[in-house]
Amino acid sequence: MTRSRLLWTVLPPVGALLLGLLGWQLVVVLFGIPGYLLPSPATMVHTALVELGTIGTPAWVTMREAYVGFLLAGVGGVLVGLMMSRWRLLERGLYPYLIVLQTIPIVAIAPLFVVWLGPGAVTNTVVAAMIALFPVAANTLAGLKSTDRNLVQLYTMAGASPLVRLLSLRLPGALPAILTGLRVAAGAAVIGAIVGEFVAGVGGGQGGLGYVITESAVRLRTPELFLAVLAACAVSLLLFGAVVLVERRLLGRWHESALPAEE
Amino acid sequence: MAGRADVRGPQSPETAQPAGTAQPAETAQPAGTAQPAGTAEALVEFVGAEKVFGNGFRALDPVDLALAPSEITVLVGPSGCGKTTLLRMAAGLTAPTGGRLVRRTERMSYVFQDPTLLAWRSIQANVELVARLQGVPRALRRERARQAIAMVGLSGFEKAYPRELSGGMRMRVSLARSVTSDPELLLMDEPFAALDEFNRDKMGAELLQLWRLRGLTVMFITHSISEAVRLGHQIAVLGSGPGHLVRVFRSPSPPSADGSAGRDDAALRALRTEISELLGGARI
Repeated sequence: MTRSRLLWTVLPPVGALLLGLLGWQLVVVLFGIPGYLLPSPATMVHTALVELGTIGTPAWVTMREAYVGFLLAGVGGVLVGLMMSRWRLLERGLYPYLIVLQTIPIVAIAPLFVVWLGPGAVTNTVVAAMIALFPVAANTLAGLKSTDRNLVQLYTMAGASPLVRLLSLRLPGALPAILTGLRVAAGAAVIGAIVGEFVAGVGGGQGGLGYVITESAVRLRTPELFLAVLAACAVSLLLFGAVVLVERRLLGRWHESALPAEE
Repeated sequence: MAGRADVRGPQSPETAQPAGTAQPAETAQPAGTAQPAGTAEALVEFVGAEKVFGNGFRALDPVDLALAPSEITVLVGPSGCGKTTLLRMAAGLTAPTGGRLVRRTERMSYVFQDPTLLAWRSIQANVELVARLQGVPRALRRERARQAIAMVGLSGFEKAYPRELSGGMRMRVSLARSVTSDPELLLMDEPFAALDEFNRDKMGAELLQLWRLRGLTVMFITHSISEAVRLGHQIAVLGSGPGHLVRVFRSPSPPSADGSAGRDDAALRALRTEISELLGGARI
C-alpha cells in the first residue's frame, strides 16, 4: 500500500472521529450536561487512565468467554454444516431447529443455562457459542452445497474417494462462505458473552464487561459504563480483525472478497 | 427416424442417403449404424442407446453411433437434442436406460464448456489435478504438466492463479489438464462456446495440433456447424424433441494426421451448407 493510499484509507475515519469527539466535548461543556448523563470525552479519557487497571480484568474475562465460545461455535458449526451436507435427512431434521434456536432471544434463554450450569464463565461461554453457531453452520452448509457440479464430475471420473472430494474440493470451495459465517460469528460471540454476563455474571473480580456495564448503569457511573462499552468494542474488533487476517491469508490470491478493490 | 443414420463416404458428400435408407455398400453395416472408415475397432459404440429420465422425460431416442480410434467425432445440433447426454454416457456419468454403450478404454478426460478450474490452486496444480487424483507419480505428472502447459502456450504462467488469466487462457489450462492424465479418449462439451471467434479458431487449431501429437479419439460437442466441419472426421447431426440422431456424415476432407495435406475448402463448404439445410429442416 503506497503512502498516499494509506493516508486516503486512514485519514477520513480518523478525521471523522476527531470531529465527532470535538463536537461531543463542545455540547457537554456548552450545555453543562452532568457527567452521569453524558460524560465528555475528556472525562472519559481521564476515567480510562484512572480505571484502566480495573477494566482490564473484566475485559480479559469477557475476551476469554467470547473467544472460547467463538472457537467452539467455529468448530461445532463447521462440523454441523458438514454433517448436514453429507446426510440430507439430518439437514431436513435439524435445520428448522437451528433456525428456531437463532430466532429465540438469547436474553430469554440465558437464565435457563444459569439454572443448568450455574452462574459464571461456563454459562457465558455456552451462551456465546450458542449464538455464534448458527451463522457458521448455515454458511458452511451453503458453501458445501454450492460446489461446482462439473468439478464434482471431474473428481468422480478421476476416481476420487468421497474423503478426497471433501478435503480437496468441497471444503476449499466452501471456505469463502465459512469465513463469512465466522465474521458474523465473531461479533455474535462477544454479544453472547456479554448478554450471558448480564444474567449470569458474578462479581468478586470474576465478572466480565457485561457485569461492569450492569453495575455502572445501576450506580450511574456513566464514564465507566462508556469505557466498558468501548472495551467490548475492542474485544469484538480484535476477534473480527483476526478472522479478516485469516481470510486474507487463505483467500488472498484467488477470491474476489479478499482482493483489494479495483481503482 | 430415431436412431437411424446414414454414412457419408469420404470425398463423396453427394452420396449421402436420407436416414434409414442406407444402401448396401462396401461400408455395409447394420441399418442405422454409422461405422467409421477403416477396420479398426471403435473405441466407443452406442448401440441403440437411449435415455429416459426418472420423471418419464425422454431425452434421447435409441442412437447407434461408433467412434473410431484416433478420429474426431463432432456432435452438432440444436439445444435439447441430447448431445450432452450422449457425451455423459460415454464418460460413464449417466447410464443408458435402453440399448448399450461399449467403451473400450478407461483412459479418458472430459473438457467442460467452462474451464472448471480450482480457483484456489495455481495453474500448475490445476493442470496436474486429474493425474494427481488418478495416482500418477509426482515426477511423471510434473513432466507431463510441463509439456502440456508448453503445448498450449502458457509456459511462465505455472504459478499464476486462474483469476489472473483471461477466459481463453483458462480454457487452455483446461485443455492442458485434460491431456496430463494421458487419455486415449477426450470428451469435450462445447469447450469453446464461451470464447470469442478469434480465440475459438485458435483453440480449434490447438485441438487439432493436440490430436496430431497424441492420436487421441475425440468426441466433441458444438453448436457451430463451421467448427464441426473444420474439426470433424465424422459429424453426427442430432435433432430434438426428443433427441435423436438424424444423420452421420464422413468429412470429405478431414484433418490429416501430419497436418501437411491441404483441405478441400469447397467440399467442406458444401458439407457445411448441407448440414445447415438439414438443421434448418423440419423435425430437427
